[in-house]
Amino acid sequence: MWGSIALNRLRLIIALSVARVLTFLIRFLGRGKGSSLPGSIALKIFPGLIEYGASRVRLGIVMVTGTNGKTTTNNMIAHILEGGGCRVLINREGANLPAGVASAFAREMDLMGRLDSDYACLEVDEAAFPLVAAKTRPRHVVVTNFFRDQLDRYGELDKTVSLVRDALTGMEGTKLVLNADDPLVAQLGRSTGLQSVYYGLADHEGTSRSGSAAREGKFCPFCGRELVYRYYQYSQLGHYACAGCGFSRPDPDVEGMLPQAEGMCTSCRVRFRQGMVVNLKVPLYGMYNLYNALAAYAAALLLGMEHRGAAGRLREYRTATGRMEGFRYRGKPVFLNLVKNPAGFNEGLGALVDMADGRLDVMMAINDNDADGRDISWLWDVDFEVLEGCREKIGLLVCSGRRAEEMALRLKYAGIPEKKLVVAGDYRDAVNRVLEGGAPKSYILATYTALWPVERILSGYAERVQTETEHLPHVS
Amino acid sequence: MPKEFKPKLNICHMYPDLLNLYGDRGNVMAFARRCQWRDIQIEIHRISVGDEVDFSRMDFVFLGGGSDREQNLMAADLAERTGNLSDAIEDGLVVLAICGGYQLMGKYYRTLTGEIIPGLGILDLHTDGGRKRLIGNIAVEVRLGGAVRMVTGFENHSGRTYLGRLEPLGRVLAGYGNNGEDGMEGACYKNVLCSYLHGPLLPKNPFITDHLISLALRRRCRDIPLKPLDDTLEEAANEVMIKRLLG
Repeated sequence: MWGSIALNRLRLIIALSVARVLTFLIRFLGRGKGSSLPGSIALKIFPGLIEYGASRVRLGIVMVTGTNGKTTTNNMIAHILEGGGCRVLINREGANLPAGVASAFAREMDLMGRLDSDYACLEVDEAAFPLVAAKTRPRHVVVTNFFRDQLDRYGELDKTVSLVRDALTGMEGTKLVLNADDPLVAQLGRSTGLQSVYYGLADHEGTSRSGSAAREGKFCPFCGRELVYRYYQYSQLGHYACAGCGFSRPDPDVEGMLPQAEGMCTSCRVRFRQGMVVNLKVPLYGMYNLYNALAAYAAALLLGMEHRGAAGRLREYRTATGRMEGFRYRGKPVFLNLVKNPAGFNEGLGALVDMADGRLDVMMAINDNDADGRDISWLWDVDFEVLEGCREKIGLLVCSGRRAEEMALRLKYAGIPEKKLVVAGDYRDAVNRVLEGGAPKSYILATYTALWPVERILSGYAERVQTETEHLPHVS
Repeated sequence: MPKEFKPKLNICHMYPDLLNLYGDRGNVMAFARRCQWRDIQIEIHRISVGDEVDFSRMDFVFLGGGSDREQNLMAADLAERTGNLSDAIEDGLVVLAICGGYQLMGKYYRTLTGEIIPGLGILDLHTDGGRKRLIGNIAVEVRLGGAVRMVTGFENHSGRTYLGRLEPLGRVLAGYGNNGEDGMEGACYKNVLCSYLHGPLLPKNPFITDHLISLALRRRCRDIPLKPLDDTLEEAANEVMIKRLLG
């Protein structure tokens, strides 16, 4: 028995050493950030790495899952906790499969397997959630939203939702932070019976009275009746109720009111359990980022962070790679944004339309590797037709990536004149074209595996700009 | 007859609000755009559960697939219109049915547990549930209106479809097709075309779109030669996948 413990110990040390060397090599050779491969090899040497690491986190694991906003929400939670003086371990690069989680633990442990972390903030892919949650037993789980994403990998949305639900059921003592406005998420409170805190956005002038054709989850998750909406925020997010069984949007514990876009910042007033009100402002564009901020804020309050301090930390949040990241190329602003599903792409196009107050050049890089989802049919569910209204403002639309041609084809059928479309499969060629396009602004959208190479090329040409809440141009 | 003859086609998009998976609405976009680019007038009718529809007045009907729950709702709704639809199909109505819509045109779907879910029974085919989902890019050789072309798309289905006395749409060159066994993909009956291909099917494979438009025009008025369009981009998108799958 002592032999097996010693052997395990040895395996752990070897696993951690190998992971360290691999991380160094990958970074040294410029092949990425080493956020996934080291963990994947370490797990082969010491399969219990994630359990081992998780058991050594002092105060607990916070896990973020859902379709969109995982990375941003998770980074925001970690940012608030760090501001509160905690030591936080995080899988920061959006590497949200078991290998990425293992990489994060391996990176933070010393070679003897010692870990000095109060919290581990882990974003976890929905399909990997059951496995990673079972290994780490998170104290808190944040669920952002459920949209259609990479269907070829998961089967269908209903299955994704039930994967998460079944994994949560039985995780006694775990507390949930749930999006009250998404019926697919909010139902988890009732269906799992776990203690839940809800966040959401109140009705405001920007809500709509009719739903979009592409919305998911139109039906009550409990009885199957069609849900009746008082208003929609976007997609299936809004104020819903079921006439059949009485399931309805829970009253949010953390509720955003009067959301406002101010340039590249978004702000709102936040009411906590119908009482105390604070101002919340994040240096990020879009309503979906306000949801991410509300999720992070709710989680932080649940973790005992002080409410004003938490809001202050969010104000100086620094965006993650490709989440509407700002660059400057010879004085010209360039934005880089990750897109991975119809809901996220539609939000990205909303930002594009807002930016088209002046002329701009656009690049869209579409890959169909495993991590992007091999099926790119979803491009046809994205409402590129909204670009027709501002097509005069768009100089070039450069299409890149493994499926550049398909992207161009989609734009052609959305009514974009073919003379504006450029197909440049090679990233460097494409980035050059969009930077030299002649418009005073450039905007790049990329799917997951296209994001990293594009970001690397872009940061070679352009300097990174930190969006600061106090010094932003107001474009309204 | 007036000198400038302007045909108009009625496009019927079945359950766009329910069957909004996999970008299949791109098929309707492709059909509509390629009509408009040729000055063929169109009107798109979006039909939801319970809406009245007279299929004999329609020129092109598109029926897609959805997740299980949505699929059941549409099946129940469509079952009440079978007579109307079936008569129009016998009369030459042009229909494109994809994935779940394809399965529904058949006689039945037998689940893994042996339960029989009746289909509309319009086409002589049936589907058996399978354990492993057939997922991936697919290339098919399709012969339509005298032309033979390579068609590409993406399939994602657990059902295995078997044809009775029906012609398939094409021969599988790479991928699974109807059932992963007999090398066939899709089905044709009169002016009905069925396929498992998402992608969506029509935008990247414009010769199928044009074939459907020609059939619809012929049924509505007369044979009208279609003005050729510049399909460079369509062919390039198709070529990417052909190269990848067939080398």
